[in-house]
Formats: sequence, structure tokens, C-alpha cells
Amino acid sequence: MSREKLRALGIELPLLPTTAVGSFPKPEELQRARAQWARGLISREELERLERRATEFWIRTQEELGIDVLVDGEQYRGDMVTYFAENMRGFEIGGLVRSYGNRYYRKPIIVSEVRWERPITVSWWRFAQRLTTRPVKGMLTGPYTVMDWSFNEYYPDRRATCLALAREIRKEVEALIEAGARIIQIDEPALSVRPSELGLAREAMQIVTEGLPAYFISHACYGAFEKIYPDMLALPVDNFDLEMSNSNLDLLEHFKRVPFTKDLSFGVVDVHSHVIEDVETVLARIRQGLEVVPTEALWIDPDCGLKTRTVEEAIAKLRVIVEAVTRVRAALA
Amino acid sequence: MNLILTNAGSYPRIGDSPELQVLRQTLARFDRGEATEADIRRAEDEMVRRAIAEQIEAGLDVVTDGQIRWYDPISHLAGKLQGTTINGLLRYFDTNFYFRQPVIVGRLVRERPILLEEYRYARSVSSRPVKPVLTGPYTLAVFSLVERGEYRDLERRVEDYATALAAEVAELAAAGAELIQVDEPAIVLEDAAFDLFAAGIRALVEAKGAARLALYISFGDVSTRYARLQELPVDVLGLDFTYSPQLVERIAVEGSAKALGLGLIDGRNTKLEPEAEVAAALERLLPAIRSDVAYLNPSTGLEFLPRDRAFRKLRHLVTIGMRFKS
Repeated sequence: MSREKLRALGIELPLLPTTAVGSFPKPEELQRARAQWARGLISREELERLERRATEFWIRTQEELGIDVLVDGEQYRGDMVTYFAENMRGFEIGGLVRSYGNRYYRKPIIVSEVRWERPITVSWWRFAQRLTTRPVKGMLTGPYTVMDWSFNEYYPDRRATCLALAREIRKEVEALIEAGARIIQIDEPALSVRPSELGLAREAMQIVTEGLPAYFISHACYGAFEKIYPDMLALPVDNFDLEMSNSNLDLLEHFKRVPFTKDLSFGVVDVHSHVIEDVETVLARIRQGLEVVPTEALWIDPDCGLKTRTVEEAIAKLRVIVEAVTRVRAALA
Repeated sequence: MNLILTNAGSYPRIGDSPELQVLRQTLARFDRGEATEADIRRAEDEMVRRAIAEQIEAGLDVVTDGQIRWYDPISHLAGKLQGTTINGLLRYFDTNFYFRQPVIVGRLVRERPILLEEYRYARSVSSRPVKPVLTGPYTLAVFSLVERGEYRDLERRVEDYATALAAEVAELAAAGAELIQVDEPAIVLEDAAFDLFAAGIRALVEAKGAARLALYISFGDVSTRYARLQELPVDVLGLDFTYSPQLVERIAVEGSAKALGLGLIDGRNTKLEPEAEVAAALERLLPAIRSDVAYLNPSTGLEFLPRDRAFRKLRHLVTIGMRFKS
């Protein structure tokens, strides 16, 4: 059981640990500062000062709300793939591409051999962890997703690209562990894109995590998981963090047929809706989750990163989660 | 053989310079209550004009409106019918793009034209023929969720979507569209029901009047279904060659009774394919086509690329295509 692994790593968590998936909205002053920085109106130092302030705000907010396993909120990132591409060698940052609706991102272009040169997320993880006694997750994007979300002008094929990235991303995981991180989340939202490539994603994750002393979580969202379940359970991580509510908990039906054998971080609020779920709704979702996954194995969080919500909406959604979990814990006690 | 250079659907609605951000910003202002529907419409118009101008500048013979007004390939049509609501996000095939899934909650009925005004506008700002593009009934049906009732049956969904889309096709043809493209990517899915798909296509063909109907299929390998696709009563068959290493040889050997839309230029990667490779494929393919016309186009719409790269792709396509123009 993964709880034993956590204990061995020195981490004790309550039943139904609450967490967040990664990103939080950037406060308005930081959004403005990013725009000003992009136009050369303020210095890098000034921007970083505001990024630190926003990170501190989110750490305090999560503590006050009573979240158990914290995230730094990714206040310093534009996007989950571009950020890593900007900080590794071999990438060129391309122009804007639409991801959905009115949302766009800068899709990186791999133009030469990819190389990890220095720690990317470590100083932010350290900064966040020093602000709190609760565990802060190390947060990375996995090799399969970085491959799938980049144009490739250098490697012969997807496999060569993915495995090269895996070898480099492992160095970032090692650096996080060296700094003291014990819970590390490696996001693979592209996991279900091509079911025939699940073996490649697994092989890449193996390269990233093999033999390393950390509790590994992998987040995935908005895909056709029914096509890769239960095969996805072969991914060498301890916990899958899955978007569930945006798809009416459809996945639970699959977990009823073939048991879910890892810990599950269960998305109980939809991050793409302005509507704040009421506690009853979230309670009902948690109860449905408990029917299918052992209590010891269940974590509770939002479907995905909350960065597309307003600060107020994000906090309100986290508050509902904590309130619902508190009630379930009381009922279980 | 007349080789016509064209686009396969979308074109980026955004670019890096401030004047290319107008639609994004207007939509954001609308969300904050600071812009009106009319403001959005004006911003869309402007981006349609720019998309068309860039396609013409690149050298295309036939352009699209870039599908600038489309939230996504599914909900822009399905969501505008009576009897649907719009649900959460789902990844569009193996792209990095997400669409909103329609939910069928009542009888599917088209209340008013959806694409007609969009087509008219595009035509009014284009010096080259405009090809309207729509997503086909089978693909809409496959990606729709159903809460209850008769529409649990895929055949019923295809039928009613086909009825709605046939009315669209008839109006576009009557408005002067000479070539109408219907995208049916869902037929590449492993468990695709070919007969239902074919029935949907036939319903659209019956409505096409004087227009030519082009069936385009992207995001998968259709080599094994090639012979059956040839039997459909469409005028043009558009194929995505990026998934199908054997497709060029299959067509070279089996021939094509129809005009083909040759998706030889990858619409989803920035890398420009070696000219010699594309030319070699064209040399194999063109003699096998028993039609007086063929189309050279990207494998998919170009919205998967940044704007500057999309333009560069089209220029590349035109450079190669010009060598084969009679």
C-alpha cells in the first residue's frame, strides 16, 4: 500500500488527503506585471518579486483552507509545457496556438538535441516548502506530454523524442529529491491521446522514476481513459490524479469492472465551470468514489489546475472540497 | 490534369502582433461584460478577412474562411441545433486541441441557417473562390453524448444530424458555393460504423445541387477503407497522408475514379517536408487519378500551427504545387 511508502518517506497524511492539481490563477497584479514585463516595462527582478508574493499568498491560502498536500500554484509559469521548453536546451518557442475556446499557448518546437542543463523548478519548490510545514509537491510535466505538445523538427520520430526527453526530465526529478521533495507529480495529460503509444509513455515514465525515493503522482485529464484502462495502471507511479467531474464520473464505471490498483487523486470539482459546486454535490461524488476505491487509497482534489478560474472561484472550489472531506472524515471516524 | 491548390479548413485566428490579437481580446472583454455580440462579430469579420488575404497571398486557388468563428469543429454545428446543450472538454483526436461535447437532450432540429451568413461574408471579401467547410453527420453523432431516449441509437443521431446538415449544404450550394467540404474524421476510429457514415454522406450528396461535394478525412489511416470510400457518391475524396505510409502506393496501384484531395503537406508539424519527397508522391499519384482535377492541400486545417508557420506551410505547398500545374 502506498501509505506505507509515504510513511517510509516520513510523510503522515490524514484519510482522504486533500490537494490541488498544480496551477492557481495569477492575482491581477501579477497578470499585469507579466504583461508589462513582456513589453520591457518592468525588470525580471520586479516580476519575480511579485511571483514570490503570489506564491506565498497561495501557500498561506491553502494552509488556511486546510489543504493537506500543497502546490506552489505555478505563479511563475506561463504554461505546463512551454515553461520546461524555455528552460531546457533544444527548443525554440513558437507562436500562439489555440488549445480550446479562446485559450492559446506557445507550442515549443524541438530544433536540436534536448538537454537539461540546470534545475528548473527546484528553487521555486524550495521557496514554497520553506513557507510551510505541510508537504509541497514537486511538479513537472512528463516526457510523453512534452513530446506530444511540441512540434518536432529534429528527432526521427515520436519515440526517439519521448525517450530523449525522459532521460533529461529524470535529472530534474533527481534534483528535486536532492533538494528534499518527497512527493513528486509528473503530469501526463496527453496519456490517452494514442492508446497504441501507452507502452511508450510507460517506458518513458520508467526512465524518469526508476529507483528514485519519492512518492510519484501522475495527473491526466480530458482524455478517453476508457481506451487505456486498465492498461494505464502499468505506469510506474503510486497515484493517478484524474479529472472525473467534468465527465460525470464516467470513469468510476470502468473502475467497478476492473479494480483501480493505485492511489487515486479524485477530481471532485469541475475547473472549467464558473459554478461553485455545493458541498452536497462534492459529498456525493466522494461517496461514489469510496464505493469503488479503498478509503486508504483515495485523495481528493479538483479535476485539474485551477488557473482558468478567478482567484475567488478557485478559493471557493477548494473550500467546498475541504468542507466535504471534513464531513466524510467525521462520518468515517 | 488541373491541380488546384487549397486549404483543408481552419486557419489560425491569432498571431503575435497586436492587430492579430483582436478576436482574442474582444472575446475576453465580452466575458468581462465589456464588449457586445456585435463587437465579437466585427472582430471575427476582421480575422476572416486576414485569413483569406493570407491564403490568397500564399498563392492558393481556393480558400476557406479559416473557420474563424468556430468554437470547435463539433459544437459550432451541433451546439446550434435545437435539442442540444454543450458539455465538458474532450480532446479532438490525437491533437492538442479540445472541443466541447454536445449533449442531445431533445429532438435534433435545425431552426435556422448556421453557415450561410458566414459563407456569404467570406465570399464578399475574397477574390478567389471560397470553399465552405462543415463537419459531417457521422462525426457529430459519434461525439455527441446522449442522456436518454431514441438517440442512444447511433443511427438515429446520424440521420437527424444528416437532415440538419443537408439543409446547410443545400443553402450553401444555392448561395453559389461550387465546392463544399465535409469533414468526417470519425471514420478513422477503430470501431467506426461505415454503413451509417455512408448513409449520412449520401444524404448530404442528395442536397448538394450544382455544387461539388468533397469528403475529407484526417487524423488517421484510411488505407484499408480506401476501396469503400471510392464507392461513395462524393465528387472529391480528401485524404490525410501523414498517417498512412502505404497510401501513396495503394492509390498508385488501385487508381482513383474520383478527384482526390491530396493531404501530403503535414498541417500539424512546423517542419517543412522535403520538396523532393512531396514531388515524388505527386508523380506517383497524379497519373493514377482518373479525373481532370486534383487538389493539393495540407493534411488538416492549419489552426494547429502558429500563424507564421501556417503561412510558411501554404507557401511551401504552393511552391511544390506550381511545378505540377499544367
